[in-house]
Amino acid sequence: MRALEKWLCLVCLIASLETPLLATAQEGSFLKEEEAPKAVFPEGTSFDRKVIRSTEELKEKIRQRMGKNKTSLWEDSYVTFVAKKGDLVLGYAVIVEEIGKHRPITFVVGIGTDRKIKDAALMIYREAYGGEIRDHRFLQQYKGKELKDPLLPYRDIQNISGATLSVEAIGRGSKKALALVEVVYFEGGERK
Amino acid sequence: MKVLLLLATALTVLTPFASFAQESDTRAEIRELREKLERLERKLAADESVREKKAAEERAAITETVKKDVISEVSAKGQSYFSKLIDQTKIGAYGSMRYGTSNLDDLHNTFTFRRFVMTVDAPIYERLKAYTELEFERFTSLELDKKLTRTSGGGLTSSVAIEGTHNSEISMEQAWMQYDIADWLKFRGGAVLVPLGRFNINHDDNRWDLPRRSLVDRGAPVLPATAAWPELGVGFLGDIPIGNTGKLSYQAYVMNGVALNSEIEQIGQTRAGDTAKLAYEVEIKPNRGTFADDVKKGKSIGSRWAYSPWLGDEIAASFYWGRYTPDFLPNKPVFSVAIDGKKTWGPFEIEGQYVNTQWSGVRGVARGLAQRAIASESEAEIGDVETEVEFELANLASRKQGYWVDFRYRFWPDILSKTILGSHFAIPQLIATFRAEQVWFSGLLKSAAFTDGMLTDFRTESRLLNRFTVGLTYRPVPLVALQLAYEYTRTNQGKSLSSVTNFLPARSGEYFQNAILTGLTFGF
Repeated sequence: MRALEKWLCLVCLIASLETPLLATAQEGSFLKEEEAPKAVFPEGTSFDRKVIRSTEELKEKIRQRMGKNKTSLWEDSYVTFVAKKGDLVLGYAVIVEEIGKHRPITFVVGIGTDRKIKDAALMIYREAYGGEIRDHRFLQQYKGKELKDPLLPYRDIQNISGATLSVEAIGRGSKKALALVEVVYFEGGERK
Repeated sequence: MKVLLLLATALTVLTPFASFAQESDTRAEIRELREKLERLERKLAADESVREKKAAEERAAITETVKKDVISEVSAKGQSYFSKLIDQTKIGAYGSMRYGTSNLDDLHNTFTFRRFVMTVDAPIYERLKAYTELEFERFTSLELDKKLTRTSGGGLTSSVAIEGTHNSEISMEQAWMQYDIADWLKFRGGAVLVPLGRFNINHDDNRWDLPRRSLVDRGAPVLPATAAWPELGVGFLGDIPIGNTGKLSYQAYVMNGVALNSEIEQIGQTRAGDTAKLAYEVEIKPNRGTFADDVKKGKSIGSRWAYSPWLGDEIAASFYWGRYTPDFLPNKPVFSVAIDGKKTWGPFEIEGQYVNTQWSGVRGVARGLAQRAIASESEAEIGDVETEVEFELANLASRKQGYWVDFRYRFWPDILSKTILGSHFAIPQLIATFRAEQVWFSGLLKSAAFTDGMLTDFRTESRLLNRFTVGLTYRPVPLVALQLAYEYTRTNQGKSLSSVTNFLPARSGEYFQNAILTGLTFGF
């Protein structure tokens, strides 16, 4: 038992140091709003914040483009960013929220000018289980996905056992972001 | 000279005309400049007005924001910590029921409410969270009545009455607190699931596609205690990324650990042509460790290390080691080792687990029990009542080993999408499953009798148990499943299934079972 106590003390000592290793702790909150667009467009040099008000007309247009994926579309507005490198528009970042099992998951979806997902990053995860959806290896599955893709577990997305509802939520949210960018930026002409 | 005179005359005459034209131009210029100035003044005034309007709007917006912030701050301060915690605490549950038919004579076709498990998770503070699972297994009701009354004619009467339901259990399956120090280092303490194999730590019914749990984990347990198996202890867990797609996960705990414990069965019996019988059968068998004072000095350790090269695939190794005998018996350890994994190819999945458990010194434990308990059976007959007290050592084998392997195929025919099975759901699924299971017992304790502190009879046997199951599951949503399965279970010919399983009431010689099960499982 003495050896065990020594090990425990060693671990506690490591844990008590605020080392960079510990800075990556799973706090539940991983990205702030101002950091979000850079996370999905790391090459971007400027990000123009635009808040899109959610009107009934916009909701209906998004709903039509979502297909069978149903989402609440509860938001009053969407925080979006136009990502640029110099004067060149790289794409659009959208912050979305979807309910996992019990709590909302907040994440950012980066969509390129080719209308495909460039990257996605988790901002806040509040569920007790299923934190694996934050893993790079999970989120990278969404790269290259577009509005016509199902974005569903067991179809085109590898599921995480025990976190299926969170996986579905990321799919719904990503699809919502794709539909929003399509309606507002590509069809609505608000490209800059 | 004439020329000079002419020039002078011309200059004299023309000069007033020239100065008049110049004056006219200057006036026009001034007028133009004045107009320009007026336009600029108007523009400036207009701009000023816009600026003022904008500034007023900004001031109003700032005031509104500050107001909102102040209100939220005030209301946040007004909200007690307790009410905030209640808001953030989430209650969930999972449960399952099934209907089964069997060829065994004593097993009725029956509905069984297998279990209802309430889950509560609460983020206590940043990086701190708690989680509990409380299980009600086949539970209907429990009533206790305790009285201390006067006896008519003098004296006191103390009485206890228990009203319960058949085969029911209430059990704390998990109750722990976790401190997330880092992704690779999280501290967890409380009633934690023992990380041996993959089933115990993923035991929620609605995660699985067959309506019965595996033999290794539940029906003929090779695990030291039946799943779900929690132990009271502390430890660490974490995830370490390896490369772009890989991940190493670990759990390691120090726990009270499994121990031999007693279960008392009281039997009141009337017998044709014989006296009535009142019997106390004390069964001493391995059980999950106590949540109160431990019955032994040594603690147990358990750990599982899993490597996932990419999402969907995992291979893991785990072990459990600890003393299983209470202090009044010889010090003997139980050691388990398990290998488990999962492989996914698109809609195909293979998932399995192998466990090997060695119970050391079973004969020595029986001898120790003989010395302590003195006699395995005592009986006396007073008048028309026979009283019997019986001690039995059970569920021990020098070695238990077994495996289960599931082959699954997930599909959904488009033709069903427009039917009631698919039209209301985003991703309904059908899952075809084949499960193969085998369990071997070496040195399985068959009987141990003792008199006057001496072991007089100690018999063991080797047994084999096989089962295969085929099933089809319909999942309208991920947390709900309707299951249909056929299972064939068989042990050594001529032996009874009841002596190697804890769920089949087979008669002597009933060595196989054909069963059809339908199940319903849900979570929320």
